[in-house]
Amino acid sequence: MSDLEAWRARAAAWCESMVPTFGKSARKGLGVEEDLALGRRYQKAKFDAGFAGINWPKELGGQGLGHLEKIAFEGEEMKHGFPNVYFGISLGMPVPVLMQFGSDRDFVKERVLKALQGEEIWCQLFSEPSGGTDLAGLRTRAETDGNGWKINGQKVWTSWAQYSDYGVIVVRTDPTVPKHKGLTYFWVDMKAPGVTVRPIKLAGGDSHVNEVFFDDVKIGDDHRMSPVGGGFAVAMATLMIERYVATDSAGFGPHLDLFVALAKDLRLNGRPAIEDGRIRQQIARNYAMRAGLDSINVRARLMMEAGMTPGPEGSLNKLVAVRSRQKLSELAIDLQGAGGFHFDEHASQKEDWASSWINAPTGRIAGGSDETLLNTIAERILGLPQDHRPDKGIPFNQIPA
Amino acid sequence: MSILYDEEQQAIATESRRVLEARVNKDELLPLLEATGAYHQGFWATAKEQGWTALALPEAHGGLALGLVELGLIAHQAGRTLSGAPFLTSNFGVAKAVALYGSDAQQTRWLPGLASGETIGAIAFSDGADALPAHPGATLAGGRLSGTRGGVTGGLAADVAVVLAQENGAPALALVDLSGIERIPVQSFDNSRCIADLRFDGAPAELLIAGEAAYEAALHILALQAVVTAHEQTGGAEALMEIARDYAVTRKAFGQPIGAFQSIKHRIAELYGLVELARANCIHAAAREGQDDFITAAAAARLSATEAYDAAARDCVQIHGGIGVTWEIGLHLHMRRARSLAVEQGNLFFWEDVLVDRLAGEAA
Repeated sequence: MSDLEAWRARAAAWCESMVPTFGKSARKGLGVEEDLALGRRYQKAKFDAGFAGINWPKELGGQGLGHLEKIAFEGEEMKHGFPNVYFGISLGMPVPVLMQFGSDRDFVKERVLKALQGEEIWCQLFSEPSGGTDLAGLRTRAETDGNGWKINGQKVWTSWAQYSDYGVIVVRTDPTVPKHKGLTYFWVDMKAPGVTVRPIKLAGGDSHVNEVFFDDVKIGDDHRMSPVGGGFAVAMATLMIERYVATDSAGFGPHLDLFVALAKDLRLNGRPAIEDGRIRQQIARNYAMRAGLDSINVRARLMMEAGMTPGPEGSLNKLVAVRSRQKLSELAIDLQGAGGFHFDEHASQKEDWASSWINAPTGRIAGGSDETLLNTIAERILGLPQDHRPDKGIPFNQIPA
Repeated sequence: MSILYDEEQQAIATESRRVLEARVNKDELLPLLEATGAYHQGFWATAKEQGWTALALPEAHGGLALGLVELGLIAHQAGRTLSGAPFLTSNFGVAKAVALYGSDAQQTRWLPGLASGETIGAIAFSDGADALPAHPGATLAGGRLSGTRGGVTGGLAADVAVVLAQENGAPALALVDLSGIERIPVQSFDNSRCIADLRFDGAPAELLIAGEAAYEAALHILALQAVVTAHEQTGGAEALMEIARDYAVTRKAFGQPIGAFQSIKHRIAELYGLVELARANCIHAAAREGQDDFITAAAAARLSATEAYDAAARDCVQIHGGIGVTWEIGLHLHMRRARSLAVEQGNLFFWEDVLVDRLAGEAA
């Protein structure tokens, strides 16, 4: 058994042992606050067992291993539905960026250790009402204030901000230069005076995203994580950190086996649905698509194991898997006819078709919309021209609103 | 489990691409459309000379003992350049049938010629829309074959065929020497496929395998061929995606390259996705030969490759506008090939059913 296989086996065994305490049935019926409390205990258990910060440096509390070990663990962890969602963003982007760009190393170490143990949560304050996909169009501003800065403005779609202790934020520090060049990157204390968090209830009923308002929020210059005007590059670095994550060809919706089982259980116009050509075609096409993504993912892993950089085709997973999950979920509801009306907003998106369906649009929008991903493929991989951008090169304060 | 190509396999891809791009071009392929029974001699001569015909056959009979992965790489390149003859796949199918189910004598008689490419083979399993008929319309009795097999790819040029027939009411695979057999040319939209209806009237034929096992054997041969064809389709789709991209960055309208319009660039990005999914499924399927899930993997490759080639043919022509539908530019060569390859080795309906039977646990 290779070291990696041994690691995976150890990860699988540990995850298995956590099921009674943190698995789906342990979480059933819990409110968000209770589930978060359980999640914090899970994160602590993970840290104690040596599965937190797997590819982070040992001196900061990580395990000092590679992204292969991280992906292997995540692959096992994903099977059980543990309450880890509250830490996904925190440990995925803001905290790694703090490790990379934070200037006060003692502060960094203390924060990283608390984040790894589930005691503290970080959020990422990027999107704004005026700029999601167009990140550099953001309007929240920071002005010099004595030796520090004063922040005013509004962020939106900030995941888990209501439970966050800290956040990383990109703000405009110079509106007189073209939009990408006037941004600066800071960290902020989410409990500081002037920070107001207001949860947004989403279509599916949950409220994990928030509006965050900044009214004269004062921070020291030691909060700055980029050169003044160099924030966009750090923001891009933040988004690149999560390149190597476990992917899911089911688009984080139900496995195709569940659809096949449904089609075997139900009848359509008096005949078994599994014998209906329309249903069979959808099963076959979805299988072929998912098998292709699985093969791409396996090959990416093999390339990493061989010390190579995986090909750009790995970027297809989110685009292809989530939108097909959306359609398959619609079909699964339709297939059940009047028996498909039941809705439980706490049901798992990986097991329940209605939950998968109602939440699917979020997956197609958050973290790069389908359209943005298509642009990225077209421009970065295929060398097609950028869209026409009328605001290019124009000082931010002269762009027509 | 998928695989990464090793250095030798990558060299096969590079070298076959170089040779084919130098020797096959659309100006030689276009006239073949208007001639019945003509194929691109240069392509087939190249396949023989380069040893592609021998690639995946046993060494004992002149083969190179490589596998589906390597043949797939060649087929991918052949698809890119619109191979001028269908025999790479059909010879492989016939040779595999003889190698897997034939007697020593049958192997000695047929395999060396099939491996060198001097002998051309054809597979005749289908009855019209039925890729693998449970009750084939050809009968084997007392070593004689009777009945018609319609729409046989390569049938106009083949020397030998493997025919799905029935013997005593059960399926059987028969090996038939085609010399002297009546062939009715099918005037097709893709004429270099050399399609013919074959009429057997008590033709001498040898049994390869009989009974239910013959049906499974036929499915296995079809799946092997389908994986080769899927590589060819993926190659064609990849070429079209690149042609569309190249056109979109050079052709200008309203003061900018048309590739700057999202209606164009997104279409090409979608093609990229289809091509990569097909490629990934092809690599996986080729690597699964001999494993329990081979048929499932072959079906997935077949479905995604057909979808990719069809979409690429449609969209590449569309992106070109008027010039795309001209005879001279030759994009219709790919349109035609996408269609013929979508039908050969069983259409989408066939493979969807094969796949779902397995996923639903209904397979025999």
